[in-house]
Amino acid sequence: MESYKGLSPSQFFYRNREIAGFSNPVRSLYQAVRELLENSLDATETHGILPEIKLEIKPSNNQNDKITIRIEDNGIGIPITEVPNVFARVFYGSKYVLRQARGVFGLGVKMAVLYAQITTATPIYVKSSIESSETEYEYRLFIDIEKNLPIVLELNVRKKRKKWHGTIVELTIQGNWPLARRRIEEYVRRTALIAPYATIRLITPESSIEYKRVSRKLPEPPQVGKYHPKGVDIELLKILIRSADRKMRLLDFLTKYFDGVGKKTALNFCQWAGFNPDHKIGRLTLTDLEKLSNKMHVYNKWRRPKPLTLSPLGDTLLKEGVKRILEPEFVTAISRPPSSYGGNPFIIETALAWGGKVPVSDTPMLLRFANRIPLLYDESVDVSRKIIDAIDWNVYKVKFPAPIAIVTHICSTKIPFKGVGKEAIAEVPEVEKELNIAIRETARRLRRHLSRIEKMYEIKRKEVTISKYMDEVTRALAYILNNDGGETIIKQKLMELLKKEIKRKAIVRGGIKSAAKAPCSR
Amino acid sequence: MPRKHRVVDEKRVLRRLERFGKNIVDQIMKDQPPRIVVPIRTLANTVWSRKERILKLGSRKAIREFFDIGESKRFMQTVLMLSIIIRARREGDYPTIRDLYYTGKHTITYVDEYGRRRTEETWDTQRESNAVIQDIEVATGLLREHMGIMHDTKGKIAGNMIIRSKGSDIDLSRMGSGAYAIPPNVDNLEIRRVDADWVLVVEKDAIFHRLNEEEFWRKNNCILMTGKGQPDRSTRRMVRRLWEEYSLPVYILTDSDSYGFYIYSVYRSGSISLSYESERLATPEARFLGLTPSDITEYKIPKNFIIKATDRDIKRAKELLAYPWFKESKAWIKELNIFLKKKEKVEIEALSGHGFKFLSRVYIPEKIKKKKWIE
Repeated sequence: MESYKGLSPSQFFYRNREIAGFSNPVRSLYQAVRELLENSLDATETHGILPEIKLEIKPSNNQNDKITIRIEDNGIGIPITEVPNVFARVFYGSKYVLRQARGVFGLGVKMAVLYAQITTATPIYVKSSIESSETEYEYRLFIDIEKNLPIVLELNVRKKRKKWHGTIVELTIQGNWPLARRRIEEYVRRTALIAPYATIRLITPESSIEYKRVSRKLPEPPQVGKYHPKGVDIELLKILIRSADRKMRLLDFLTKYFDGVGKKTALNFCQWAGFNPDHKIGRLTLTDLEKLSNKMHVYNKWRRPKPLTLSPLGDTLLKEGVKRILEPEFVTAISRPPSSYGGNPFIIETALAWGGKVPVSDTPMLLRFANRIPLLYDESVDVSRKIIDAIDWNVYKVKFPAPIAIVTHICSTKIPFKGVGKEAIAEVPEVEKELNIAIRETARRLRRHLSRIEKMYEIKRKEVTISKYMDEVTRALAYILNNDGGETIIKQKLMELLKKEIKRKAIVRGGIKSAAKAPCSR
Repeated sequence: MPRKHRVVDEKRVLRRLERFGKNIVDQIMKDQPPRIVVPIRTLANTVWSRKERILKLGSRKAIREFFDIGESKRFMQTVLMLSIIIRARREGDYPTIRDLYYTGKHTITYVDEYGRRRTEETWDTQRESNAVIQDIEVATGLLREHMGIMHDTKGKIAGNMIIRSKGSDIDLSRMGSGAYAIPPNVDNLEIRRVDADWVLVVEKDAIFHRLNEEEFWRKNNCILMTGKGQPDRSTRRMVRRLWEEYSLPVYILTDSDSYGFYIYSVYRSGSISLSYESERLATPEARFLGLTPSDITEYKIPKNFIIKATDRDIKRAKELLAYPWFKESKAWIKELNIFLKKKEKVEIEALSGHGFKFLSRVYIPEKIKKKKWIE
């Protein structure tokens, strides 16, 4: 007889760790670094703290396949009682609310802990302190895989000697640093691009790279929001109803739990969908819920989702980030107004960098981000790539090979990923449209820039062309005049005239309307 | 009474060249962007003057501004060439156009707009320097001969006339089997005396020498000349002076082919590329003595002496038909149409089929006497 037993979440992920990205020593190391770095950023920027992060990667005890990752941040810290759950209990976290965040399920870091535990049999080390606490505390933790509960191996509590808050995490996993190195370095580099307000130090066996913050301005943190009625499903309805008063009327339920739904909208919807607004939500049957969910999807008179739950970077910060990492000659950025797809608000931001240290290539280099997470894989199937490749760049005066890079950033409470890899954005029409608008606008700005440069060179060319003949002309004229001293005077006069001419040209080319009134050469 | 010819005054030439240059300096001193006004020398600005019956330069002028990057190099070249010519005049030198090309050829080094070090020649080929010389000619109204610029000459002349050159009198009837080689600057020659009734210009050097050996000019009281094919400027100038100053009729003798017809056309009306000099070089009343396409039957040229016209000959003849001075001449239309129809050409020497002296004893005197030339 077969024995049936339920799997604890820890067991499930232990058996299916590749889903979370822990499939092999290269990918696992990369994934672990990602999870830790993203947690640190979420612990800082989301709470109005300028991130100060130090990430250290070192082979453990000269064993090349055992790698220790240590990360220090100046985040809000984790309350002493919460540390074990946060790091050693799957599906436990503060992110179960509707707002933009790097991670959502609180899964990643626990997977790293789990992975460390099974590959190197070492516990995770956590040191943390919150601002209001007088103490700092150190933990060594394992996860009880069967029970999905933390095992506290060690706990030290000390009085803080200096004022600080933040978290230090250290774990040792099996990994392949030489093979993962380039990806990790690129990941940190791109993270530094999308977080120009962060100072990130990456210390590896080979080098120490510091990305100093170039801005002290943090983007507005996202607010906790309500779900938009278009984005619901039966499960969500059940969860929301469970948390609400069962005697609540449907009308009140809709206005209280959903984004942008007022009394009037709720009434109109109920009438349209054939529901009694006074119906008690506890009495809704599964069939009712299915009908409600469908109708909420289809109804097209909901207000647009509020983007307050989103935290775009903004064009200024994005530009700063691009400047610090790509060091281009020209950069422009756009932060589009909010839009939505299927009840999920989203914002598209793009930047275009040109020249300087941007590598020259046969097609625009693409750097993609989703909720400030760099996407390094599956570029070829990403909607941004598709849009960029469909553009006739000749229109924008770009002739390949060219030093051009494009950055795309999508912020959403639900990123429309393609597949489970979470590395490519799907071709959702609304998203595609916004990306297209933004990329083309930056391309137009590039064209304007290139035209200006072209004109500048044209003016310079004129100056060069005429200047190079200056000596021949003045020498000849002075000889004709039979005047030995004449050469200097003629040349001086001619130079003055040329300067005036160039100035006049620059003004006219610059498109200033008053050019006609500009001082004439006469 | 011959019309008076004034020998070109070198000082005046120099003054005119200097004035041209000073005008540019004056603009600069008055804070004006410097510019040169040059009459355009292209076909589009070449006009046929029916009254004078010559090709002339039209009235269109180009303004060459130093500050226009499309023209600044040409401006520099013009000023550079002007200074070299002025230096030659000041120092009494007579350079050739090739000398001028070398004297003005310098390498300019400069830094371009992208910061690269580069070099450029003031001119690359003699074509460029020649073009600038022509610009200066039309802009100042001076011919290159006046400016003391030499060129290859190939014209010869013999006959009863005396000229004065560099202080010596030269009797052109006393050159023996040789002939006087026409110098580049014909206007520096003083023609002291001419004792002749007409001028015969033959296309070919060999024919010139044959007629000279026979002393054709003494027997027929004429001046004998040749330009050795397509005539140079000084030969044309000499022909013009004899016609203009001594009112002598001028007869041109060439092969009967498009090339020969065109040589006549150049003596008579000028060439398109040098249309600005027509007034000094063309002889609008020059007469074409022969050989004409109708001479082939008229003078019974043996069939085996006749050469078939090539496609190029035909093409050229069609072009000639479009020239105003041919289009306005019934005789020429008739002859050119015969040529185009029969596609036959003959050389002057073909007349020797009737004996070596047929040309000098019969053909030329008969044609002149019977007024069988065409214009």
